[in-house]
Amino acid sequence: MKCGLIYDGCLSQAETASVLPAAERFAKGPVAVIECIQDIPCNPCEKSCPHQAIIIGDNITAVPRLQADRCVGCGLCAAQCPGLAIFIVDASYSATEAVITLPYEYYPLPKEGDIVMGVSRSGAAVAKARVLKVRRETAAYGTILVSITVPKKFMHTIRSFRALREADKRIVCRCEEITETEIRLAVRQGANTVKDVKLATRAGMGACQGTSCRREISRIIAEETGASPEEILPPRFRMPVRPIPLAQLAAEEGKND
Amino acid sequence: MSELYDAAIIGAGPAGLRAAIELGKRGARVIIVDENPYPGGQLFKQIHKFFGSSVHLAGQRGFLIGQELMDSAKCLGVEFWLSSAVWGITDHTLAVLHEKNTHEIHAKKIILATGATENAISFSGSTLPGVLGAGALQTMVNLHRVSPGRRILIVGSGNVGLIVAYQMLQAGIQVAAVVEASDSIRGYGVHAAKLRRAGVPVLLRTTILAAAGRNRVETATLAHLDERQKLLPETAWQENVAAVAVAAGLTPLAELAWIRGCAFGNSAALGGFIPLHDADMKTSVEDFFIAGDIAGIEEASTAMEEGSMAGIAAAQELGFCSTEEKDREKKLIYQRLETLRSGSFGHIRQTEKIKIFTKMKGEFDEVRIDL
Ligand SMILES: Cc1cc2nc3c(=O)[nH]c(=O)nc-3n(C[C@H](O)[C@H](O)[C@H](O)COP(=O)(O)OP(=O)(O)OC[C@H]3O[C@@H](n4cnc5c(N)ncnc54)[C@H](O)[C@@H]3O)c2cc1C
Repeated sequence: MKCGLIYDGCLSQAETASVLPAAERFAKGPVAVIECIQDIPCNPCEKSCPHQAIIIGDNITAVPRLQADRCVGCGLCAAQCPGLAIFIVDASYSATEAVITLPYEYYPLPKEGDIVMGVSRSGAAVAKARVLKVRRETAAYGTILVSITVPKKFMHTIRSFRALREADKRIVCRCEEITETEIRLAVRQGANTVKDVKLATRAGMGACQGTSCRREISRIIAEETGASPEEILPPRFRMPVRPIPLAQLAAEEGKND
Repeated sequence: MSELYDAAIIGAGPAGLRAAIELGKRGARVIIVDENPYPGGQLFKQIHKFFGSSVHLAGQRGFLIGQELMDSAKCLGVEFWLSSAVWGITDHTLAVLHEKNTHEIHAKKIILATGATENAISFSGSTLPGVLGAGALQTMVNLHRVSPGRRILIVGSGNVGLIVAYQMLQAGIQVAAVVEASDSIRGYGVHAAKLRRAGVPVLLRTTILAAAGRNRVETATLAHLDERQKLLPETAWQENVAAVAVAAGLTPLAELAWIRGCAFGNSAALGGFIPLHDADMKTSVEDFFIAGDIAGIEEASTAMEEGSMAGIAAAQELGFCSTEEKDREKKLIYQRLETLRSGSFGHIRQTEKIKIFTKMKGEFDEVRIDL
């Protein structure tokens, strides 16, 4: 199936690239990302901006253009866009996290501090996110602006969120506290062996060395990839297969000298 | 009821309300009749923020736009008969079922702004309870707060299908999928994007084969189509759903215009048969105007402009405004309409509208004004 907004309702990679302000602008602080690429007759965003940073002009079907140097990332456009197609991305939030402010119109509303699941343009779980702020703008006719913090590498991927589900909380690797969803996400991002999952998530690297979670991980990989469980080999085992005091290792080292 | 109104408007949607406002503010005695208990036509059940131009109140939620237009009209002395259905028309007289009795309304000018009706499609089981129009589903959920069930299917990916699907999610109802026979999404991408973020699939080249269940819909059978739209029966699968909402387009609601003897033209892009009209929104019948979706399925913003045009043209014929004023306003209206009818979604409507005007001009030489 062809990809792109008119085929699957999600921006393709190229379409996404075409709407993103320059990387230097992201570094400077919050900025609007206007994911509106069709020539539809609509212009409330233009008027919503107190800084005249969005331009449509007299031709109402023109695609909105952002003057990124004028945008201060206030979010008024995101609150007013009837298509809910504007997001504010703040890449300057911290070294590892970015903040995404998005329009939200579902009940129940999240609460500040909630941990939620950040999802992509196609609704797939991407990474956990924390609700930083929930704000109501009068001009938005009820649309709520929710700000969430996400791992920076996902700031152009996460575009909505959902409440955590049972599987998001269900621990598969007890030693390292890795959840089923985290493992599934790793598989979807290309980890298709138990070893890959271990490297991506630390699942199986704890005190029990995977004794209790290995089979579960294989099952999840099989489920996600459609492979049969027999094809999913266990990871390569290494000594020590039980936890031992470091002193023992040191002693072993000594013997070889 | 033998008093004579300057103008009677049928339909209190955006088109009818704007016509009433233009007539009212120029001093005409106006009555507007609508069978719904609320003003706004399609708008009153729309809980989403309207796309469109900010000069047409876009950005606000639909039902608020309807209320705002009605308030403006009321301030101008426009008389409202809601919950009143026009069931007949002769010459300058309407037969209206109002408060359980038939009343006659006499008016010098009549403006028909009755909007459109939903297209039904038939498939095995399509008469089962639970198969309904997307607009009907909207009325059920948004207005009457009745849930159709836990999980539903939407057929058709035009704006109506996409928007209704989103509103169902907001009401806490799961949407199994939006299915679409053609090979791209018909409505605006931003509306589809909202659904996708919520995890709802939009399945192209997919159709509904059957709805089934004991007393009401319990399952829907779907199947894919190949690139030539041929059914691929081996791809069929079932979804457990409690309702199937069909959003397969709209047809102008023009019975009263047929009865009144208007000349008609047909345009698939505008929704089928529509009364021929000129740029003043006058039909082939003297003193009889149309505006909004009845004059071609479009949007609220175009309906408002056409309503204004019909109102101003009627006001001018009635002597409430000069020809110069009318022509000045008309120029502005058509400037706005032209931009609304541009772009990849709108330009076809512009072309088709001009065909209708031209056909009207060709068949009736008394048509005075073209674009
Ligand atoms: C789900 C959905 C979402 C939409 N979203 C948008 C949007 O975001 N932006 C936008 O610009 N447009 C939108 N539209 C389109 C817009 O609502 C219509 O184009 C517009 O309402 C047409 O206006 P109208 O006045 O011609 O007709 P309508 O709004 O349909 O009003 C016609 C009125 O006439 C009344 N009537 C009909 N026959 C009779 C009779 N015999 N007696 C008495 N009364 C009668 C009806 O009850 C109705 O109230 C949407 C439409 C739908 C269905």
